[in-house]
Amino acid sequence: MTDTIAAGDHRVGTGDRTLTVIGLGSCVAVILYDSESQIGGLAHVLLPDPSFSTAPERRMRFASTAVPDLVQEMERAGATRDRMRARLVGGASMFQELLGNDHQNIGERNVMAARTALGEGGIEIIGEDVGGDFGRTVRFDLKKGEVRVKSSRTDIDVVV
Amino acid sequence: MTKVRELLETELDALKEVANIGAGHAATALSQLTDRRIMIDVPQVQVCAIEDAPSAVRDTDAVVAAILMHVLGDLTGRSLLLFSREGALVLVDMLLKKEPGTTKIFSELEQSALKETANILTGAYLNALSDFLGVMLLPSVPSLAVDLCAAVLSTTYLNFGQDRDRVIILDTRFRFEPGDHSLSGHFVLLPDPSSLEVILKAIRLV
Repeated sequence: MTDTIAAGDHRVGTGDRTLTVIGLGSCVAVILYDSESQIGGLAHVLLPDPSFSTAPERRMRFASTAVPDLVQEMERAGATRDRMRARLVGGASMFQELLGNDHQNIGERNVMAARTALGEGGIEIIGEDVGGDFGRTVRFDLKKGEVRVKSSRTDIDVVV
Repeated sequence: MTKVRELLETELDALKEVANIGAGHAATALSQLTDRRIMIDVPQVQVCAIEDAPSAVRDTDAVVAAILMHVLGDLTGRSLLLFSREGALVLVDMLLKKEPGTTKIFSELEQSALKETANILTGAYLNALSDFLGVMLLPSVPSLAVDLCAAVLSTTYLNFGQDRDRVIILDTRFRFEPGDHSLSGHFVLLPDPSSLEVILKAIRLV
């Protein structure tokens, strides 16, 4: 079974399921996995933190709030924090010519915010496929805990 | 920060007319460039959440060639010219006077041809709006991405938008006539929320 996780959405699950995100641009997929309980979670975040938005209550849209919420939800499902490992995918920067010099791009900031939030939660990042100027599609196999990334640039699966 | 509000029926109609005028001129320019007939659909005007915006324009998992430009002047926002990947390849063949099916990849010359096309079409679109609304409009340099539609559109809104919750989309689909359905594209205008009032004022709706 495959669940597609839309932007601003998340999923926690286990067993014979694949979570997928199609066409990540500057958004970031924060992927957590507890290999012992085989519980995994994925949050598809759009922005670094609620200050970028006029709708701060939608916490799963922001890296800084989605990470602690996702961790909690996984704990409720039976995962434990010290066994959780994180992977990050996305945070690309397209149309770079149009960004001003002083303009730090959202993709990069999303990645930084996700790293910070994971660090604060004491969760180790074991893999990243981030940055660049191209989109990515992610497949997260909950049973194996395997994350595969395909980009329009490479056309081959990268395992992170 | 001006928040994007819901639009009234009359305002939506007015924005459709604005899109129609712009896209009509852009289609004429594309027709002259390629020596083909171009048909445009009735423009779609939508105000939606950023998350829903990619699917509002096209299938999100389709690979598109997208040329983005900033719009500067009395109105600010962005303009996006969107082709399916296949459509863009055929268009490049037309522009470079090659047999259809010759171009397989977008190397420097092909990319440059697409960007120049966007310059011309966006110029035509904005000139028409400028005349109609009585405002000054300038396009920036173009930037091209060939990627999944979802990635292109979400990045466009998130990286460059003023409002990062809701967007205003003036989308006009065009097709080459007769025949090949893959040869279609979109002229998309994404006005910043603050510019919406400028447009509505110019057409005396507020």
